[in-house]
Order: sequence, then structure tokens, then C-alpha cells
Amino acid sequence: MNSTTTTTTSSRNPYFQLVEERAMAKPIATVFDASKVHEKWPFIKGEMAPAQLYSTTSGRLFHSGKIAIITVGLPARGKTHLSVALTRYLRWLGVITHTFHLGDYRRAHCAPGQDVPEDYFFVNASPSSVLLRQKILRQCRTDIYEFFDQHGGQVAIYDAVNPTAAGRRLLAKEFLKNDIHPIFIESTCDDMKIIEENVRNVKISSPDYAGWKPEDAVQDYLRRITVKIPHFETMEETELDYIKMINAGERIIVNNCRFGYLPNRIVFYLMNLHIKSRRTYFARSGIADHDSYKADAPLSEQGLDYARRLADTITKFRVEELRAHVAAGGSKEDRPLVVWTSTRIRTVQTADQLAAKGIKVRQRQQLSQLNPGAVEGLSEEEIRERYPEELEKHNHDPYHHRYPRSESYHDLAVRLEPIILELEREHNDLLIIAHESVLRVLYAYLMACSTADIPTMKFGRDEIVEIVPASYNNVARRIPIPPGIHQEVPNTPFGFPPVFTGI
Amino acid sequence: MRRVAAEAAVKDMLKWFSQEKGTVAILDATNSTQARRRWIAQTIGQYGIEVMFVESKCDDEDLIMSNIMEVKTTSPDYRGQDPELAAKDFRDRIRNYEKIYETITETDYTYVKLINVGTQVVINCIQDYLQSRIVYFLMNLHIKPRSIWLSRHGESMFNLAGKIGGDADLSPRGFRYSEALPEICRQAGIVPEQNVTVWTSTMKRTIQTAQHLPYNKLQWKALDELDSGTCDGLTYEEIEEQYPEDFRARDDDKYNYRYRGGESYRDLVIRLEPIIMEMERQENVMVVTHQAVIRCIYAYFMNVPQDRSPWMEIPLHTLIKLTPKAYGTKEERFKANIPAVSTFRPKYSSAKHQETDSPDVNELSVKMNV
Repeated sequence: MNSTTTTTTSSRNPYFQLVEERAMAKPIATVFDASKVHEKWPFIKGEMAPAQLYSTTSGRLFHSGKIAIITVGLPARGKTHLSVALTRYLRWLGVITHTFHLGDYRRAHCAPGQDVPEDYFFVNASPSSVLLRQKILRQCRTDIYEFFDQHGGQVAIYDAVNPTAAGRRLLAKEFLKNDIHPIFIESTCDDMKIIEENVRNVKISSPDYAGWKPEDAVQDYLRRITVKIPHFETMEETELDYIKMINAGERIIVNNCRFGYLPNRIVFYLMNLHIKSRRTYFARSGIADHDSYKADAPLSEQGLDYARRLADTITKFRVEELRAHVAAGGSKEDRPLVVWTSTRIRTVQTADQLAAKGIKVRQRQQLSQLNPGAVEGLSEEEIRERYPEELEKHNHDPYHHRYPRSESYHDLAVRLEPIILELEREHNDLLIIAHESVLRVLYAYLMACSTADIPTMKFGRDEIVEIVPASYNNVARRIPIPPGIHQEVPNTPFGFPPVFTGI
Repeated sequence: MRRVAAEAAVKDMLKWFSQEKGTVAILDATNSTQARRRWIAQTIGQYGIEVMFVESKCDDEDLIMSNIMEVKTTSPDYRGQDPELAAKDFRDRIRNYEKIYETITETDYTYVKLINVGTQVVINCIQDYLQSRIVYFLMNLHIKPRSIWLSRHGESMFNLAGKIGGDADLSPRGFRYSEALPEICRQAGIVPEQNVTVWTSTMKRTIQTAQHLPYNKLQWKALDELDSGTCDGLTYEEIEEQYPEDFRARDDDKYNYRYRGGESYRDLVIRLEPIIMEMERQENVMVVTHQAVIRCIYAYFMNVPQDRSPWMEIPLHTLIKLTPKAYGTKEERFKANIPAVSTFRPKYSSAKHQETDSPDVNELSVKMNV
């Protein structure tokens, strides 16, 4: 995991430097200090989340109370991925959520390179292992209660194996006693192909398997799970609230879970989630000669040239990636690429080159740019002249403020909700060609950026941004697009956010 | 004969898709055998239309009997009969259907199975966002009989002054309405021992209005009045004077018009999504809130289109009772015998808030929306 967060190549774009830092600041599990698993809480009091509809004084929403989401499932069933993705989505909606990976606590209690005792997961473990288990659990629980009591937490995701019915009943009882509603989410799989794929993607990249043949490493990993955790009971406790996800969401069983709006919203999200690993690419659309929000003009010569370079770059990059993947022992199977554009002519035409190569292109009406309203095409000077008060308000809160007849970034984030869920659904690699305002919001969702950063993020026409899923977060990489025959027109004159051009 | 009816319904459905450019059609029938479902999936599927089955299944004998007692024994078939016997007879009739009933287990179909009124839900092979959205809605839905009571807050000091927005106290007449409200609720069918929750916004005028109601109360920020931005605290005359273009623009398209620095009806509807879902989930709810908010909630339950909903008249000091029925929502209005200004403003007028006639008795009107 550490290696992926540091492979981000270029630091030319200051924003991506920030992303690297973000990824590095995450509590790192391998630190041998049990007291520091969760030393930093990422919540800023009073800040609205990007898609938050309203705020309350308690910080909790929807009158849904405090909820503990408890994962159930053997390793390699996508529990951690699920926890991380759900955390990101709930935070996006403004629900104060945090994941507690029990694995982090376990690792913090072991010396570097060491694992827990062999009998750690056994039902009849030795007294010393039971003691260690209790100590680790206690520490994790203490952090969970601190999150609820001192940080206004609403949803704590407790990411652990939780293999026995008896253990789960005890856990439910303990949380209920503390006025926290427990919901179990089990991820289970009877399709060995999905499990093996998951092991290949996330589990065998560790140094333990350096130099192994991938097939052998997968089999060894699975064998080790069976030895380590010989006892596992799938959820049948009908008196508990649980959501059982079978074969990566192919089938979902929801038991009870009828106590509030939030559990249904969570199921709604889970219906769109899968655990397959895939890439998302972001690219700007080409430019038009006399484009405005209303005119919807076609690409200029320069725009057409950009579209060609974009198509070449992404194609070459993917061929190269696949070659490297196969060379490293990965499967030869190519994940297909699909392209989404908005319905604006510029973005549709930017994808024409790719469509000509036989790549599927879908137009999505919701991807159209932020409506600039009355200030379209105006310079900062002109805005200052015509709307001095509005400019002041805008500078105070550029995320929520709307100029007359315009949309705010918050409006855009709310309107993009279906796109975000379909983004989660997509199994293929996905290239989104859109306007900068839209890319800002979608990027902020995938990279869990803070609301205040969104309006000033930069997406140039000299790069494609690639989002790669890693264990605890997504990682962004830049793919440079070689310069074209035309001089690139800077889109941010005077360093002013280019909201007003409608781009 | 059944097959003929099914074929006719499917034919109409396909026609609706091709000619009316429909998006979602619901084929409401028993479809309780695998053979019938296969026929549907094949017939409809060949036109490139995705098929999603929704099954509601109950195997909890107590639930079945209580549902029969609650709903079926009031049907004309059993008038004048002993309810116990009628229920037993109906249960036997169901058993005949059960003999040929095959619950859905076809793993290659998209389906959602709601077992024992949502105690357990099985969701299979969801194909896209819209299907997930439909399941999400169904999970919030229940079929127990219930009503929803809606009331605006009592007349406020701002209503008297003709101002919009703000967070004013009730007027003396508004306080009288709050005192009368428990009795009006009784007339509108809320018995004291009934399990009702009262929702208010976080604004003083709704909290004061609900203060004498002897039920559990919940404040929702999402129920606050439409935010009128820079126009907050102004009268309609002042708005027309200070923002003439805006005043006109709002009346041209009231649903989409957004106050400067404030909200549009469309924004409000989005903000109300969690409220609407929670109302579907709940049983008896009474909501004390604001004019624009009630217009949106009312429009949702009564199926009022966007161009009409922002112009509906929702008078002060009136309790509206909505009762969802199988084929529509029944509406009753209970008017308190307490005069109040009318805050209704017809299109393109900036008329001041008018005094209404004071009726002598509590009025009741009943309407059915289908």
C-alpha cells in the first residue's frame, strides 16, 4: 500500500502533490505503536460536506441516531474495500463516518514483519492469544466510543472478520447497550473466480510474495486463510439487522434494517457497489471557437487536434499498462474502456476519435457543466463592477455561492448523484470527458477532497488524470498529453477561477 | 382467459413504450408461476426492454391473519358476517392460490423479493442505477393503513405584516390556533392513544404551533421554509419594487425560479427527499411546517404537476389529512374556526395579505385524487 501512494510521478501540478500528502498522512498500519492507530480525526467542525443537504447542531443527520456497521466475512471478500467506499460515500453526504480496521490494530500490536500467533483466530485459542485478542479489541472499541462521544460521530464502520454468530450477538448487545444501532454487512462469495481475482489484485502485492508466480501466490494465500480461520459461520441470525452481499453484490439479502432512513440509503449505495478493480480517467473536453453555455459550439481546429492527441495518449498508455501487467505475471485479459461525455457538442466531439476506434461512448445529460448564469464570460473586473456584493459573497464561500441565475458547486454535486452511483457501478475502465467544473466535483468524490478545495482545483488539457484504487484510498496519477501544434490558451487568466466562462 | 388478459395488457404496455416513449411500465398482475414469468421476460425482453420482477411474499401466519382482519373483513363480500369466520374463509381462499404459487428463485432474472412486509428483502441482479433507485423506494414503502396530517404553522407576526421568510413568533390568533389544534386533530381522527409522531421545522412558528400536541415531536432542519435569500423579510410589494426582474421571472417559472442567495421549489424538493422517504417509512405522521414545504409534500402524495404545485392554495389554520389508498390518496380538510390572513398570492400580483372570512363552524371538505 505504501508503495502505491508514493508512485505518483510528477509534482508539476501542485494539486497532486497535495493528494500525495493526503495519502501519506493516513495512519499507516505498519507503525509499531499501538497507541497511534487513529491519532488524527479528519473532521473539521462546522464544515459542510460536498453533497450535504442541511446541517444540524448535533452534527447527526436524518434522525437516524448512532450506527455501528460491522463487517462480516473471510479475508479477500472485499470487506475493506466496502468499508472504505461506504465511508467515502457517507462522508460525501455529510454523515460523520469513520472506519476502524481491526487489522490495523492487530498489526500495531505486532513487531514489524511479524503476524499474530497462529492460533489467534481459533475458537479454542491459547490463553495468551485470547488475552491479546481482548486487548486489541478493547483498544479498537475505545476508539469507536471516543469517535461517537467526542467527535460527533454518526456511523462507525468496524472492519473485522467477526466469524461466529455468538461473537456477533455479543457485539450487537454491547453496542445496543450504548445506544448505538448495530448493522452487520457480510460479504460472502461462492464464486471462486471472484475471490481469486480479489486476492490477485489486493492481497499478493505484499513483500511476502515477492518473486512468487501469481497463481501459486493466490493458492498459498487462500490456503493460509483456511488454516488461520478454520471456523466461519455465515449470518443466519434473523433477530439482528444485517445486509448480506453475495458474489460482489450480484445478490443482496437485507434482514430487518428498518429503523431509519440511513440504513436504506446504505443499501441503495451497496446495490451499486462492486469489488472489482478498475480505472477511472478524467479528461477535459477540447475547446471551441465561440463557445458559451447557451451556444453549444462545435470544436475548433485546435480542439480537434486536442481530441486526436487525447485519443492517442490514452490508447498508447493502456496498451503499455497491459503489456507491463502481463510482464508482471498478470492476466492477459484486457478490461474494456468506455467513455462518458456530456451532451454538449464539444465533449461529444472530443470523444469522436475514440468512438472511431470502436470504443463505446455514452452521453450523459447530468455531466453538463456548471451553469454560469448571469456572469458568463465576464472578467473579474466586470463582475466587480456589476455585482460587487455578489463577488464578495462568492469569495467568502465559492462552493455554495450562486451568482444570479447560476448553479453553485453544491448544486452540481447534488445533480451528479446518479452519475456518482453509476460511476461505482461501472465494471469497465471509464474515461470521463467533461468540463472542468464537473471533473472537480467527481474528482473530489473519488479522492475524498474537502469542500473548500473543490472550486479551485486545476484540470489542464495537457494531462489525463487516472484514479487507481488502492487498499485504503484511491490514488491519482497524471498521464501527460504531448503538446500539440497550437499554442495552448491558458484558461485561467489573472489566476481567477474559470467558473465564469462556463467551461 | 387469464392468458388473454395478460397478452392484452402486455400489448398495451409495448405500445406505450413505443408510442408514448415511456420509461418505466408496471405490469400489475399475480405472475405467480415460473412459466408465466418466463413468458413475460421473453415477450418483453425481445424489444430491448429490461424486466424487473417485484415480489411481495408473506409466510408469517400471524401477519397474514392480522392483515386479513385489518383489510379484507371490511370488504363488501363479507358484510354482516362474523369477522373471525370471514377471516378464516378468506384464508382458505388464499390457500388455493398458494397451491400453484411459485416464489421467484430464477437467479438470472432481476428481481426484488419483499418478505413479510420488508422484514427481509432479497435483491437479485440489479442492472442499473434506476433499478437500484426503485428498490430503494420499495424498501421504504409499507402497506399498513395510515394517514398523514399536514398543517402550516399558525398565523405569524410576519404573516400579519405581509412579510415573507424570517423566524417570527406566532400572532395572537396563531397562538389561538396552536391551542385549538389538539381538538382539531381529534376531529381529524387522531385518537389520543394513537401512535402519532409530530414533525416540525426548526423555526419558532412551527414549534409554537405544535406545542400543545400531546404526541412525540421531532424537529427537522430539512422542513424549514423555502429560503428566500435576499428577499427574506420583505413584502411582495417591496420585492416587486426592489427586484422587478426577479419578481417577474419568479412568476414566469415559479418552480425553477431561485431567490437570489436562496432556493427554488426544485431545490426544496431535493432537500425534502429524506423527508419524503421517511414519510413513506413511517405510519401515522403529523407535519407542522411551512407553505412551500407543504405544497411540495402535498404535490408528491396527490400527484400535482410542477407548473401547478407552487400555485396551490394552502390556507392558514387548516389541517389537511391525507390517507393513501390502493388507487389514490384521499384528502380531507379541517378548517379551524380562527380567522387568519390569506398568504395566497395569484400570479403576477403583489396583493397584500388579505383578511379571510371567518367561518362560523369548523369546515370539512373531502376530495379523492386518483
